[in-house]
Amino acid sequence: MTLALPSTIQARKAEAATIFGSHGVPTRRVEEWKYSDLKVALGEAGIGTDQALWQVDALPDGVEMFDLSRDGAPDWVQKHFATAGRNIMGTASLTLSDGGVALRIAKGAQVSAALKLAFHGNGHVRGLLVLEEGASLTLVESVGIADFRNVGFEIVLGEGASLEHVRISPRSGDAVLVEEASLRIAAGARYRAHFAGFGSKLSRMELEIALEGEGAQAHLSGVSVLDGKRHSDVTTHVIHRHGNTTSTQLFKHVAGGYARAVYQGKVTVAKGADGSDSHQSAKALLLSENAEADLKPELEIFADDVKCAHGAAVGDLDAESLFYLRARGIPEAEARGLLLQAFLEDAVAEIVNTDQRELVRTELLTALKGIA
Amino acid sequence: MLEIKNLHVSVGDKEILKGLTLSIKAGEVHAIMGPNGSGKSTLSYVLAGRAGYDITEGSITYNGEDLAALVPEVRAARGVFLAMQYPVEIPGVTTMMFLKTALNSQRRARGESDLDAVAVLKLVRAKAKTLNVSEEMLKRALNVGFSGGEKKRLEILQMALFEPKLAVLDETDSGLDIDALKLVAEGVNTLRDPSRAMLVITHYQRLLDYIVPDRIHVLARGRIVAEGGKELALELEAKGYEHILKEPA
Ligand SMILES: Nc1ncnc2c1ncn2[C@@H]1O[C@H](COP(=O)(O)OP(=O)(O)OP(=O)(O)O)[C@@H](O)[C@H]1O
Ligand SMILES: [Mg+2]
Repeated sequence: MTLALPSTIQARKAEAATIFGSHGVPTRRVEEWKYSDLKVALGEAGIGTDQALWQVDALPDGVEMFDLSRDGAPDWVQKHFATAGRNIMGTASLTLSDGGVALRIAKGAQVSAALKLAFHGNGHVRGLLVLEEGASLTLVESVGIADFRNVGFEIVLGEGASLEHVRISPRSGDAVLVEEASLRIAAGARYRAHFAGFGSKLSRMELEIALEGEGAQAHLSGVSVLDGKRHSDVTTHVIHRHGNTTSTQLFKHVAGGYARAVYQGKVTVAKGADGSDSHQSAKALLLSENAEADLKPELEIFADDVKCAHGAAVGDLDAESLFYLRARGIPEAEARGLLLQAFLEDAVAEIVNTDQRELVRTELLTALKGIA
Repeated sequence: MLEIKNLHVSVGDKEILKGLTLSIKAGEVHAIMGPNGSGKSTLSYVLAGRAGYDITEGSITYNGEDLAALVPEVRAARGVFLAMQYPVEIPGVTTMMFLKTALNSQRRARGESDLDAVAVLKLVRAKAKTLNVSEEMLKRALNVGFSGGEKKRLEILQMALFEPKLAVLDETDSGLDIDALKLVAEGVNTLRDPSRAMLVITHYQRLLDYIVPDRIHVLARGRIVAEGGKELALELEAKGYEHILKEPA
């Protein structure tokens, strides 16, 4: 452990360590981990104490970076680091990680180039991203394959800030990849996120989002294409703490073989968060009898005058559509691919950054070729 | 070109076509009329190769080949086209992209080279213009939110684009206004050719004023119960199906 950590941060880490100590590595018996047994997936190796790595390619103008393993954390790091999120694996990374990366976009800065951040290697690592008032950024997060990695990410959006976050989790056989992102979103700020996942032994993206000020917004979308025994889990908890906040979620999954797609989405509208608006939709297409989708949207409302809708549907490829395409000469495999692409398209279309949208489309196409 | 002999078709346990015999030569246009539920669409689906329609007896020969042995996409590549009574809506696939994929799939299956996007666009635009299909429709998801008439016009646009050898039109006239009906009929008549055959399923004599058939068949309870020239349509229009159905088939 680095000794140079300011006492405020040390205290927060100590608190996290206590929480983690009382839980341990989650098993299926923990409600939020019901469909993803981390303990079993890790086996004897456990979560270890390795330090995973991070990398930022060509820091765009307007982004300030601080290496969390160094001395002399600037004020903004001291202020925000380890303040949000106390989910189990988040407390594990706070306890076990010595390093990570902190990034800051100063007030009003509009960063035009995408910020590319990669996490790789085995073990634990932390990330902190702070967008000050009115700042805007596109964050492209890439996920390296590893035996096991646990990323704990905190994102703070100041008033009127705007962030688009695109994360692509690669297809792999044995990797156990866990990430928890905790977000605090101030008044008028907007967070958009897209998670594309191709599955591994266990892949989990967990988000906890607090909409803390008037007009704060979170728009989440995601797609997964899974084959073999691959697993992909997106678990979200959006908390409308303030009135007139908005959240939308659209997740689409395609699973074949023995694959398993998981979406658990909880939306809490806190007391007094009147006039909030939330919409959740999760759909899965299963291409084989042994594939599985666990889609669990959930609502908890303690406020008045809220508009909340949620839905989930699991189905298979529409036979009538398939026949229509084939009857017009499109070979079966290609027709299936087209329909799967079409099924995923509305979620992909949520990505605003055109380069990233095209990249996700291309990766989906490749994955669908192998599965259709 | 098409020879259907004693065709029996079941869906699940239910026999729908019960010994249907029909033959169409190249260059001919035949019409099928018949009461609701008599099996007209079933026949059209069987010709196009939809799954779930079991041929329990009889045969379908197309240009000397057993049609039933071919998968739908191969039938399409060999020139079989079905304009469906209820064209399917496919969200997420744009109409233009679908047309290009379908056209190139058929070309590839015939050993021809792909047309590039520009060439396809040019071709489609030309056909779209004569059928009054707007540019905006081509950009939209396939059939999604199209009106009944728009869907039918898009079916005919595809027919014009693919230039099939055997075109089956299942109630393409239903839901069309008079102007659209004329456009569709023109589209069909443009394709009339000594090398092509067409089977037009309709409830209305009106369409047959524009597309004059060589022969009319009446399908009832899974069989052809009457046949005749174009005057048969007028007779049916005046008297309905009752008197035909009363006579033993
Ligand atoms: N998938 C199916 N399962 C069970 N019955 C079916 C199925 N498809 C068609 N049928 C039945 O077969 C019969 C013939 O249907 P078909 O659609 O071929 O009639 P049609 O002559 O085209 O009628 P219409 O003039 O109303 O279009 C009907 O009784 C219909 O209910
Ligand atoms: Mg019909």
